[in-house]
Amino acid sequence: MTALLLRRLLVVPPVLLAASVLVFALPRMVGVDPARAVLRARTAEAVPDPATEARVRAELGLDAPAVEQYLRWLGALLRGDLGHGYVSQNPVAAEVGSAAAVSGLLTVLALALAAVLGVPAGAYAARRPGGRLDRFLGAGTIAGVAVPEFVLAPCLVLVFAVGLGVLPAVGWGDPAHLVLPVLVLAAYPAALAAQLVRAETAGVLARPHVLLARAKGLGEHAVLWRHGARLATTSVTALAGMFVSGLLGGAVVVEVVFGIPGLGRTLHRAVEAQDLPVVQAGTLLVVAVAVLAGVLVEVLATALDPVQRGAERAR
Amino acid sequence: MVALLVAGCGGTGGTPDAEGELAVALQFPPRADYAFEADDGARLQSLGVAETLTTVDDQARPAPMLATSWEQQGDSWRFTLREGVTFHDGTPLTPEAVVTALSHIAGVEAPPRAIRDIGFAIEADGPDAVRITTDEPDPIMPLRMSSGNLGILAPAAYAGGGAPDYLRSATGPFVFTEANGTESAVLVRNEEYWGEKAGAARITVRYVEDPQARALAVQAGDLQFAEGLPQAQLEQVRSAGAEVVEYPNARTVPLQLNQARPPFADERVRQAVTAAIDRPVLAEQVLAGGAAPAADLFGAAVPWGASAPPPGADVEKARQLLAEAGYGPEKPLTVQLWTFPNRPELPTLANAIQAMLAEAGIRVEITVGDYQAQEPEVLAGNYDMYLNSRSYLSDFPDAASTLTSDYTCGGSYAIDQYCNPAYDALIAKLNGTVDPDERQRMFTEAAGMLTADAVGVMLVHPLNTAVLRGATGFTPDPLQIAPILPQLTPSG
Repeated sequence: MTALLLRRLLVVPPVLLAASVLVFALPRMVGVDPARAVLRARTAEAVPDPATEARVRAELGLDAPAVEQYLRWLGALLRGDLGHGYVSQNPVAAEVGSAAAVSGLLTVLALALAAVLGVPAGAYAARRPGGRLDRFLGAGTIAGVAVPEFVLAPCLVLVFAVGLGVLPAVGWGDPAHLVLPVLVLAAYPAALAAQLVRAETAGVLARPHVLLARAKGLGEHAVLWRHGARLATTSVTALAGMFVSGLLGGAVVVEVVFGIPGLGRTLHRAVEAQDLPVVQAGTLLVVAVAVLAGVLVEVLATALDPVQRGAERAR
Repeated sequence: MVALLVAGCGGTGGTPDAEGELAVALQFPPRADYAFEADDGARLQSLGVAETLTTVDDQARPAPMLATSWEQQGDSWRFTLREGVTFHDGTPLTPEAVVTALSHIAGVEAPPRAIRDIGFAIEADGPDAVRITTDEPDPIMPLRMSSGNLGILAPAAYAGGGAPDYLRSATGPFVFTEANGTESAVLVRNEEYWGEKAGAARITVRYVEDPQARALAVQAGDLQFAEGLPQAQLEQVRSAGAEVVEYPNARTVPLQLNQARPPFADERVRQAVTAAIDRPVLAEQVLAGGAAPAADLFGAAVPWGASAPPPGADVEKARQLLAEAGYGPEKPLTVQLWTFPNRPELPTLANAIQAMLAEAGIRVEITVGDYQAQEPEVLAGNYDMYLNSRSYLSDFPDAASTLTSDYTCGGSYAIDQYCNPAYDALIAKLNGTVDPDERQRMFTEAAGMLTADAVGVMLVHPLNTAVLRGATGFTPDPLQIAPILPQLTPSG
């Protein structure tokens, strides 16, 4: 497994290098002048004075050729210097780092909750396909997949904050502030995990070796978890890997609705303000997490799957 | 003016509790870390943290704040400072401290509009005054000094050389004790304040961009005050026992018409468009009462704003004017209307305008796009109609800047491409006019000229909203100079 991990990690630097080119080039291809956007954000001037605009452009190094700008940015990045935000003028590392920590916490909790809810629900639904529990959970997972965050979030606020008054509606900093956002973020992955585990487990439980195990007197609980749901963990791990980067940088709706200072909201705001250093650093971070999550998922999937594990040993 | 439009500011009643705490939600987070020169540079003023040399009264005339009096002496103004004021760090307000603060803001890369391009210089003038000098005699320096971008912090705040440190360094009724980026801020009452002390002992300010989230948080009791709620939410929060306050906003939504090319180079066509649009219907029905119909550029937010409502639509007159200009069933008029979605009311208004103009025989093709991409095109005159949203005050309550940039020949934001020497002459006279009342009369006259020349159609003036639940004392300030938070008092 170590050899596989090392082989996969070797791929990460070139992928990130390619991503850095895209992350650098894409904002510049949309045709909006960052110097003007920065001046507008900092001075509220509808049409900034051209001399000031030129001075700001020179100060930010935006008048240099694009290749030179890229190499300068990449060099600073490799030295760990992410620079300062054009608009906030605060260090980007601190701005993106604190936002990523907030979103990271939400992501971990949401995925953990999704696993805790989704995997057992799917497994138990698979015990009797078409049974009452299966039908009930089937409807629940369809709702979990179909109801968008911008609907679910206000609904939960109405019930738990406005109606029952047991949880806060907005804010960050208190453990109670985590509950509703984590519930909203967990709903979709939990529903998908439940559907996935249900489908895979039901398939496995119908196989001859499981019937044999039952005939030998293995208990239903052991059959379910040793033979059924266990095989679904590979798919669930892959699912979690897919969701990590999306939740880390893409939970904009939840972060805006609950007033959470996370990475999605920070990136959304930076894109609106054309704050390139923040956009670039945040996007690259999300890409890096996605790539690393992909590597880990592949290694974990190999470790969990006896067939793949054997093939890897044989290499 | 304000009193007429304020529905009520009493919160939900209850006993005021001066030792209580409040949680409030503001709409826009501080994008530039409370930098004075930034777009949201007046934030420290509106929070009741930083103060300026002057403020304004309800007639938009300069009034004392950290300076108690002022007089013009040639090309300079002498401001006498208030005695007995101390900064939150315990140091006294001195002429040197004011010079340090205002020299800093005047020296940044892009200084605030209030003092830009006027040759601003400041020096101490005796033990209790500062002298501000400009290249040319400036008629409105006391008004300029009310801009929230010109807040004054203690000298120690500027010692680092970069952006000033705003924590515990201002003079206002609240001490800024904790800033949590764009998420929240904590303010504590300044017990040594020179004026009337703040109503709450402590306020937690949360920046919540989503209007629905603000409304729900007020209903849930998480917040005692929130600003900027959409009309659709108002009934909901009222039914939860919250007090809703609606007040004018110094903003106009104009339908700008390109006079540099046909068809709107012809005044009759512009008049036809004006006649065909029913502004009261736009304000009261299309925007569900979230705006006041505009009679001209200026609305009820300023003393010089129009008070009479605009007429409704006169479709017959519009058809007649179009016919005189050569348009009719045989030669129908088709125009492009551009707008942008950042302000959600604009696409809604665009659809209503399309329907109203269709009644008069004008076919409108709407494009909703990105403002930043549209701006160079409309400034270059490559458009027909542009539905915009524009604040008519620029950082301090004087309209000369907007009247100049938007409507003089070659103005920097002259989207309508309007050019009238008589109008330019009127605006030029503002440069030598010191008397606030006379200036305001000239603003009214300028707006009248724009209306008479049908320079676009001033459609509506959006309203501001605020809600209170568990707090009292909110006094709306349409000029957005007076701080919002110090008057708020928790109520049981």
